[in-house]
Amino acid sequence: MWAAARRFEAWFVIPAVIGLFGWSMLALDAGGLTPPAFCASGTSWLELSSLNHALAFNSPAKLAADWALMVAAMMSPLLFTPLRHACDRSFARRRTRATLLFVSGYAAAWMMAGILLQAIALTALWAMPAPAIGLGLVAAAAMGWQVSPAKQWCLNRCHRRPRLAAFGVAADVDAATFGLTNGAACVGTCWALMLLMLLMGSGHFAAMIAVTLFVFVERLENPAPLAWRLRGAGKALRIVTAQARMRLAPRRSFEEALP
Amino acid sequence: MASTRKNVWELGGDWADPILWYARGVNAMKSRALSEPTAWRFYGAIHGIDQGLWQQLGYLDPQEPMPSSANINNFWNQCQHGSWYFLPWHRGYLIALEAVVRDAVVKAGGPADWTLPYWNYLKPGQNALPPAFASADWPDGTGNNPLFVPQRYGPNSDGNVFVPVDQINLNALGDPDFTGDANGGSPGFGGVNTGFSHGGQVHGGIETQPHDWVHGLVGGGDPQSNLPGLMSDPDTAALDPIFWLHHANIDRLWEVWRENPTTHVNPVDPNWINGPAAVGQHAFMLPMPGGVTFTYTPGQMVDLSTLGYTYDDLSPPAGTPQVASRLRRLGMNATMASAVAGRLAMPGPKTVELLGASTGSLSVTGTDARASVALDSSVQRKVSASLQSAAAGAAPALPDRIFLNLENVRGLNDATAFAVYINVPDGEDPAKFPDHLAGSIALFGVRKATMADATHAGNGLTLVLEITHVIDTLHLAGALNTDQLHVRLVPTRPVPEAAQISIGRISIFRQSN
Repeated sequence: MWAAARRFEAWFVIPAVIGLFGWSMLALDAGGLTPPAFCASGTSWLELSSLNHALAFNSPAKLAADWALMVAAMMSPLLFTPLRHACDRSFARRRTRATLLFVSGYAAAWMMAGILLQAIALTALWAMPAPAIGLGLVAAAAMGWQVSPAKQWCLNRCHRRPRLAAFGVAADVDAATFGLTNGAACVGTCWALMLLMLLMGSGHFAAMIAVTLFVFVERLENPAPLAWRLRGAGKALRIVTAQARMRLAPRRSFEEALP
Repeated sequence: MASTRKNVWELGGDWADPILWYARGVNAMKSRALSEPTAWRFYGAIHGIDQGLWQQLGYLDPQEPMPSSANINNFWNQCQHGSWYFLPWHRGYLIALEAVVRDAVVKAGGPADWTLPYWNYLKPGQNALPPAFASADWPDGTGNNPLFVPQRYGPNSDGNVFVPVDQINLNALGDPDFTGDANGGSPGFGGVNTGFSHGGQVHGGIETQPHDWVHGLVGGGDPQSNLPGLMSDPDTAALDPIFWLHHANIDRLWEVWRENPTTHVNPVDPNWINGPAAVGQHAFMLPMPGGVTFTYTPGQMVDLSTLGYTYDDLSPPAGTPQVASRLRRLGMNATMASAVAGRLAMPGPKTVELLGASTGSLSVTGTDARASVALDSSVQRKVSASLQSAAAGAAPALPDRIFLNLENVRGLNDATAFAVYINVPDGEDPAKFPDHLAGSIALFGVRKATMADATHAGNGLTLVLEITHVIDTLHLAGALNTDQLHVRLVPTRPVPEAAQISIGRISIFRQSN
């Protein structure tokens, strides 16, 4: 990966720049640790009591811009491996173009999902007698989704690497379509956690970092059959443990390994 | 003292002692219940198991007791394919099986130094299945020879089992790099960098040829039921006793590659040396005699002298490509070719880029499938310039190597195999154009790779053939200056539509050093 950075390869540089931009803007806006979508004025969402009030503080443009920043920051680390596929399978002169088209398709999926998720969040805000109830319901839904076969179905599709046309308009369409379908699978995988982010109050910025790490390490797991199971950071923890053990313990020789 | 694995065709008879003792050892393992970790079928399941397929083939009774869940989780479904762990995992697997068989041999009064033979189908006159494996009877004429399996159909699905070696290229043995990349260029001699990979998408050079080819052609498929022969599918392959002699040969070829020339080296990356456990995945674990578990890493598998065995023949097979001979063929004088080859045939950073690709996917059915690969003129000029500068002796680097990729190959039948030709004239018999043979492909593992909700996510296999020799031929014939190449797939057996074999894209990549 660092070699790719040194060579300014598109599949690495473009998502890295997008991610850095997203995090920088969110950090600048996070002086009060406010959720980006509902706190344009810095007012905590806990103080909002009606949909009208919420919309008064959050124009559709502001909601869209904040959502785009959130997606850019949190999802850009997930783009390296599918973009590597798009670049590897494209002519060298088309790699930047393929990367931008993929990112456009991917962003389109998330922006469309954003409309729905923002609407759900605003509705929850308006309909729930107490904010904690809305937050609790979404947290429960996120946990249920996390262990479900449906989540695995989406995760598996995040690992799809389709055939891509190499020439002309067909190559452009395929790159954008790959981005769109990968983005749709990503929405299916992460929607519940992102909805939770929209409803979080104080600690939102820290929670975003935690969720970003979580969805990144979750994607390290191989595709798997559909089943109810705990899934998440298991592989990352095993990597950390194994690497620590390797550095602390001397390597066994073959004679020691073979009974 | 190191034991020596010997050529099965040169043991002194069809049922020479090492074969007879192997049969007795296999028989002892076959007599054990599936739930015993040293049972034959348990060892087969370590490579891979599909319970439905095992039941269809008569190797699993749904009512019989299964091993403990701990043993299943620790040991089953471990085989490493499409991975740089392919060779070291199988080396450990051979060592463990050899220990289990030897234990049974000794208990039956056999020699304590029994070793597993290997089947060198690449040697002239030795590509037929060793006779002891082809007979349903023991040498005394009684039935139930444990080395015989009925589900071994051969290349023509008629029970005549042999390896069509004329369709194998040995380019992998000339690859200077053990580790390759999944970017369209060389997948390396030993495979691409992966984590624990029970079936990766891109097979390494030696894995594609001859490994996959031998699996697919020896196993074949049942022409009536369309079920695969045991050897054709990773989930049944290790149930066939010939599997172990085939893999002993692949293991031997690893050592052949490492020694010829001595610039070939195994990976030094800690993630390879320490194995998948170092990247948070399943450690390599095998059951040994006495209830002991053998846990090992690739780094422990690199030195045969430490492992306590060797092979009786480590000479490179005829036809192994040499860099110097390629340079001479391209027009460089012999002295300079030797010097350049020696100086440059070392692993190093590579630039890989797409040279051309087909449009649309290709369905493979019947006896013939064709596609055209459109070439990009600007990349094509780079290839031509590289080849021309080699001829002039002015190249500071080796001329480009060229790789054909069959991307996203999907299907339901692992017993599918085909030869790949480039630019055979229409109406001509491809067999008359051996210089145009890119190589041969057997779709070992394609069924599992097609499953959407399994470890491949339904991406299928991407099979890579080095076609440098074909491109050199076209260049020397002045036929490379074209806007497309024509690829022709010639299945060894007609491919039924029910197999649903498709290729997402056929692409060609250049790799410069």
